[in-house]
Order: sequence, then C-alpha cells, then structure tokens
Amino acid sequence: MKNEIGKLYIELGEEFNFYAPIKEKGNLIFKRVLNPDDIVLDYLNSKVPPKEILFPKMEVLFEYKTDGKDVTEIIERTDLDEKNIIFGIRPCDAHSFVLLEDFFAFGDYQDEIFLKKRANTIVIGIGCNTPKSTCFCTSVEGHPFMKDDMDIFLVDLSEKYLVEGVSEKGKELMKRLKWLTDAKKQDIQKAEELSKQAEESFETKLDLKDIDKKLDPNFEHPIWAEISDICIGCGTCSFLCPTCTCFDVIDENDQYNNKGRRIRIWDTCQFCLYTLHTSGHNPRDSCIERCRNRILHKFCYYPENYNTLGCVGCGRCIQLCPVNNDLRAIIEKVNNIKKEKEEKISA
Amino acid sequence: MTTQTKQEESLNDEWEPKILAFLCNWCSYAGADLAGVSRIQYPPTIRVVRVPCSGRVSPYFIIKSLMDGWDGVVVSGCHPGDCHYLTGNLVARRRFAILKELLEFFGIEPGRVNFMWASAAEGERFANLIKKATKIVKKLGPNKKFEKKW
Amino acid sequence: MVIIMGIETENSEIENSMRETARSLLKEKKVDVIIGYTNGTVPLSSAPIMITKEEEVEKLIWNNLCYVNLAKYLVPRIPQLIDPEKGDLKVGIVSKGCVGRALIHLSVENQINLENIKMIGIPCNGIINRKRIEKEVGEKEILEVFAFGNDIVVKGKDFEQEFSFEEYINELCKVCKVKSPPVLEELAEICIGECQEISSIGDNFEDLVEFESKTTEEKWDYIKDTLETCTRCYACREACPMCYCNLCFVDQNKPIWFEKTTEISEIIAFHLVRAMHLAGRCVACGACSSVCPMGIDLNLITRKLEKIVKERFNFTSGIDSKKMPPMMDFSMDDAEEFMLEED
Repeated sequence: MKNEIGKLYIELGEEFNFYAPIKEKGNLIFKRVLNPDDIVLDYLNSKVPPKEILFPKMEVLFEYKTDGKDVTEIIERTDLDEKNIIFGIRPCDAHSFVLLEDFFAFGDYQDEIFLKKRANTIVIGIGCNTPKSTCFCTSVEGHPFMKDDMDIFLVDLSEKYLVEGVSEKGKELMKRLKWLTDAKKQDIQKAEELSKQAEESFETKLDLKDIDKKLDPNFEHPIWAEISDICIGCGTCSFLCPTCTCFDVIDENDQYNNKGRRIRIWDTCQFCLYTLHTSGHNPRDSCIERCRNRILHKFCYYPENYNTLGCVGCGRCIQLCPVNNDLRAIIEKVNNIKKEKEEKISA
Repeated sequence: MTTQTKQEESLNDEWEPKILAFLCNWCSYAGADLAGVSRIQYPPTIRVVRVPCSGRVSPYFIIKSLMDGWDGVVVSGCHPGDCHYLTGNLVARRRFAILKELLEFFGIEPGRVNFMWASAAEGERFANLIKKATKIVKKLGPNKKFEKKW
Repeated sequence: MVIIMGIETENSEIENSMRETARSLLKEKKVDVIIGYTNGTVPLSSAPIMITKEEEVEKLIWNNLCYVNLAKYLVPRIPQLIDPEKGDLKVGIVSKGCVGRALIHLSVENQINLENIKMIGIPCNGIINRKRIEKEVGEKEILEVFAFGNDIVVKGKDFEQEFSFEEYINELCKVCKVKSPPVLEELAEICIGECQEISSIGDNFEDLVEFESKTTEEKWDYIKDTLETCTRCYACREACPMCYCNLCFVDQNKPIWFEKTTEISEIIAFHLVRAMHLAGRCVACGACSSVCPMGIDLNLITRKLEKIVKERFNFTSGIDSKKMPPMMDFSMDDAEEFMLEED
C-alpha cells in the first residue's frame, strides 16, 4: 500500500488532522499535511520529536477579555475535540507518548489540554528497519518493532506495508479502509526477519540495569563536574528530547484591546532561570547541577515516580548536542563509579 | 491596535500613523513645548515619552514599540555637543546608526524609526521634522509586519 | 586564495606540533590545564576537552570540524578552571584565528587576564559547514567522514558522497583573514605556535552585495524564512564567546522586555537584539551557526555586523588590544547621515 498513502490521506484528511513526516528547510519534522506529495516515507527519524503535536513549543491555554481592570470573560480552547492522526511515528517516539501521559496525568493534576488531545489521537507507527548508530531503544526496554504503544503498526516491506491493528481504535479505523488486502504468510515472515535484523544491527548498547540505584547515592560525586565541564548550557538536549515535559506559563496582556491570553512554552532545566528563586537564590547555580538534574530525572526520578525509565533511546541528544557531550559516555562514567568503589573495597 | 482595525484604517485616505516619540528632557521635550506654545502646526501623530537623555533610549524600547504595533518611532535629543550629560547623545548616535542599518538588513522598513536632533529653542525645526517623519511613516503604511499578532 | 594541498596531511602535521607544544607546556608547569578539541563520538562533530595530565595529550586533535570557540569556557570561568586556593588556573588554549580574536577582545572588555593564558596557535584553513552537508545528504545516516585530497568524503551504509572542501566550508571561513591568532606586541609571549601579525584587515564585503540589493520585502521574507524554525534553545547564545552576560536580555523578567515564545516577531526580536549586542564584538567564528540544532544559518548577520563596524568605525574586533571597541566609545565626528534633517 506504499503508493496508497495519498489515498489514506484523502480518505482521512477531512475528518482528521493528518500529521506525517515532512521535510521543511532541510529538517524532517512532523507537521500537518496539506499536500500528500509532501509526505516523506524514507526517513530515519524526525529532528524535532512528534511530542510537538501534542505538546507544542508554544500553546495557548486560554484567552481572556477584561474591562480594563478585571477579567470579564474566559475563552476556552475549542479545537481540543478535533481528531488527529499521526502517521509514520517510530516506536521510540510512540513510547514517549506513554511517558508524556504519565507526566501530564500524574497525581491530582490532570492536564486536560494534553490528555484530551492524546485521547483524540490515533497513532500509526512504522517499525524501524535501519536503526541509527546512536539509537539505543533496546537498552531502555524498547524495541525497533515495538507496537504496544501504537494504534496501528506498519512494517515497511520495501514495496508495501504490513498493516496490523493493535488497539481497538486502530482496528476500527482499519475496518474502514476497505482497500487493504489480507497479508500473505511470506509477508509476515519477512516482517519477522526484518525485526530480527533490526534488533541485531544495534551498535549502541547501554548497561542501564539498576542505574537508578547507582545514581541515587552519587548525587554529590565529583564525576558530575567532569561530565558537565564541556556543557555550554543550551537547551538542545531537552527541547529535542521526546520525553522532556517542562514548560513555562506566561500571561500576555494586550492593554490596547482589553484582552489577554495564557500560554505555555517549552522550558528546560538546562537554563539558569529555570530554578531561580525570587530571592535571587538558585539551587542549581552552575552547569554541574543542571547537567546532573537531566540525567537523574531520566534515569533516577522517573523510575522512582513512574516505575519506568524516562528515556526512550531515540539518540537525538547524542546526535544534536553542540559540544558532543555524549549520553552514552555519561552512562558509562556513571557505571564506572561503582566499579571504582568495589575495587577500592577489595583492595 | 488589532490588525483588522488597522486594515480598515489604511483603506481610509485619512489614515494617520501613530508614532511613539522619545524626547530628551532637556532639549527636544522643551522644543516640543515651544512648538506648542508658539502655536506651530504639526500633525497630531506623535505620543510623547519623556526620557532623561537620548542616551537612555535602549534599542529594546524601539523594537518593543514596533512589536506592540506602533507605526513608527521617533527619538530626539540635543544636538551633538549640547548634551546635558555631555556625551549621552554621542553614545546614542552610535547605537542608532547600527540599529538603523540592522533594521534595514532584517527587512523592517528603516523609515519607521527616525532619529533627530532638536534643541529647546528650535520649536519650528521640531515641528518640521515631525511633519517629515509623519510623511515618511504615512508612505510606508501601517506596521503590520513586525507587529506581534495574536 | 591559498590552495591547500591535501588537507589531511597538513592537519596531521599541525596536530603533532600542537601536541608537542601542549606536552611541554604541561611538563614545564606553564599551564595547569589545556583546553582543546578531541574526536567527537558522532560523525561531523568534535568535542572540547580539558586536559591536565601529560599523558592525555594524545587525545588532542585538530581537524576541520573543530567548530566550537573554546574562548567560551573562560568567560564566565567554569568552576573546573578555578582552584579554591590558587584562584584562576593558568590555561593553555588551542587557538585557531577566531579563538585568538575572541580572547583578545575579551581582554579588551576586561573579562579575562591574558597573562593567565597561553594560546597554542593553529593555522586554520576553514571549518567544514556540517549543517549544510547534513542537509544535503538528507535522510541517510552519515557514518564516516574523512578528508581525501581536497575533498570531504561522507560515507554511510550504502552511499558515498563527495563535497569540495573549498565550497563546503563555512561562509565566514571563505572570507576569513585571520587564519591563526593575531600577535599582540605587548603580550607576544602568550602566543606560542603559529601566530600572525595583523595591523588592520582590508575587507571588501562583496559577499553581502547580493543580499543587500534585495528589496525590504524580500529581505524580510528571507529573514523570516530562515529564523522560522528556531526553537529558542539558545545554543547560538551559549556557544558564542561574546555572550557572557549574567542575565541575558531575553531572560530579564523585571520588567519583561521580550517574551520567550516562538512567535515569529519574538524570534526575530531575539536575533535582532542579539545582533545589536554583538556589533563590534562578534569575532566571526561561526560557532552560532555550527551548533544550531535546526541548522539556521546566522552567518549573513555576522557578516553584516562586521561590515557596519568596519565601514562606520574602521574597527575589526579582536586584532588590536589598544583600540576601543566602537560601542564602548564615541566621537564628536561620527557620521550622522541617517539623522532626520529639515528639507
């Protein structure tokens, strides 16, 4: 059905907001499709993670009107009931949606905007035939052909796709697509082969067993100074991380027109302003603490709070870090702390 | 100033731009006052912000005004050599020179931002320059490009 | 233009002499730490490294992918460069031309004391424009990069692509006149290795003619189009050796001048004011464009800044420690043709 993606778009594009990988200014990103010819099917992974669809860089929470003094009317979002399809997402990014949901539905605070959008989204994912050299999803309980977090799962068999409905939502949608043909045995076999091939092709394997227990007691370890010495403190790693969820809320007031709006934008623990108190005190004053926080959040606090690792192994932070502060090297250094200790004890 | 009302305004031949004027306390503000007292006619397009010195005018002020939807900005100070603080306007002049070139480079009409000198005794000159600035901005039309839209 | 014969041999010569210098500096205890470049773990990259032991010197490398401006780590001094007892550590710093320029300009701005610094000068022949190559290779993974003759060869799983070195270096490197760090008369001893004497730089800025001849509308569309993808991760700001403010203007919240949203006018305001702040200070290293994760090219703006400052104030940043930078100075006879005058 590879050449029928256009057909899929025409059939569903009216009812759903159809998001798919598109090339824009040399970057591959997930964007709402306006012309089916724009869809890129032959790609590794997008530069900006698809979290951008559910949790955009900048999002209006609500708008309000004032009478010059007090708020008179609050205008809520109306587009939350729109149905979305995200086509062509990779298994790692699909898994990131589960982690995002963990965060936005944690405890008493339910983020309605995110959760509504998430509930109205159908995720159509494609298995990863050729993982990148920086990918490490198999080390974080993932798999290049993991379909659990998707609604419909596709396997790229070069000239066609093997389509599998995973969730109820997905199966229902598939019933509507009458032109799908039954899969042949050899196709299923081929898919299994591809899955095996992909799994074997992983170059990066990280030892993340009990990483949280290794990190927790080493909060004050001098290793953090070593890890962060070349970090320049930009937000690339967290802005382009599929599981980073931090945001800042801003009120914008337009006094000329007696209106305003509340927006949320991405924020990151890598900026000094993130933890700055009103008193002027900053508990995470230097890059050392900020770098540490990112690693601890993904590999220590996430397991503590949500019982899962906060990393999906997409390798974006490795690929895009301006100073090449490699996550793989950081994990290795952390793993070596324990060994050093053991060696000392045995000596 | 919403975009919609602005478009309506621009359709109208009588459209008058709104210009934010930063006037230095010691010369230009007094110059504007003199223009008023002497009953010299000039277009009612400017809204005045009094600043201690033209050197106080940060590029933020100018860029922020354009983002807020002002059609133009005028900054006026004492003539070089006459600054109340001796060299404030000389510092400002270098800043303005660079800002003006950069605005043009970024594709924001440089005519929207005008710098001028007017002393406390030059009411006539002040009125003439405002007339000229208004004419320039009027020709450029409403500032829709750089205005923050929402 | 100088024709480079075989980039890889030339680079390995430089690399060897750089390692020797670094080794002897550490041996003679002239410096406590050396900041240099080491191999990156992903293709088309390099990583900064800090070395304190003699045996680690072999980790230092030099090639045409050393895009980070190392002067960044000196201002503000990262905690790793300060000894609780001795104070500021003596630093040896691997300096291509623009790192040298940045150091000199930072000392003019009283941010560093050059006496604590040793520049290991390197004649740089241009930094590869990695973002451009990445974009041109597209949706294929680059696994290997090497220089062959005068070509950059990029290899992946089932493809191999060649790029001409002269064409695929940074736009700024194509017009760069300060290949190795400038020598200061009064502090000649701080520069070891390859350094050059520069009194002034003649520049013709022909590369800007094309853009400047565009109409205002076309310029705006170009700038808007270029900056649109900005995520405001501030990698450009953080990689810039001249962006050392304690609190950047976009982070100021008492009062809030500019919002941190990704609204196009806010993005343009950020880049416009940042450009404004770098006038007469930018050393044209191109680090901002090299580090941008979205591949935004800010080189054109950098060039324009150089041009304005050169033509208006006859100033080039980072080659002279005695001349005041234009934005820290003023003069009665500055040109004022842009001022509004009566008809």
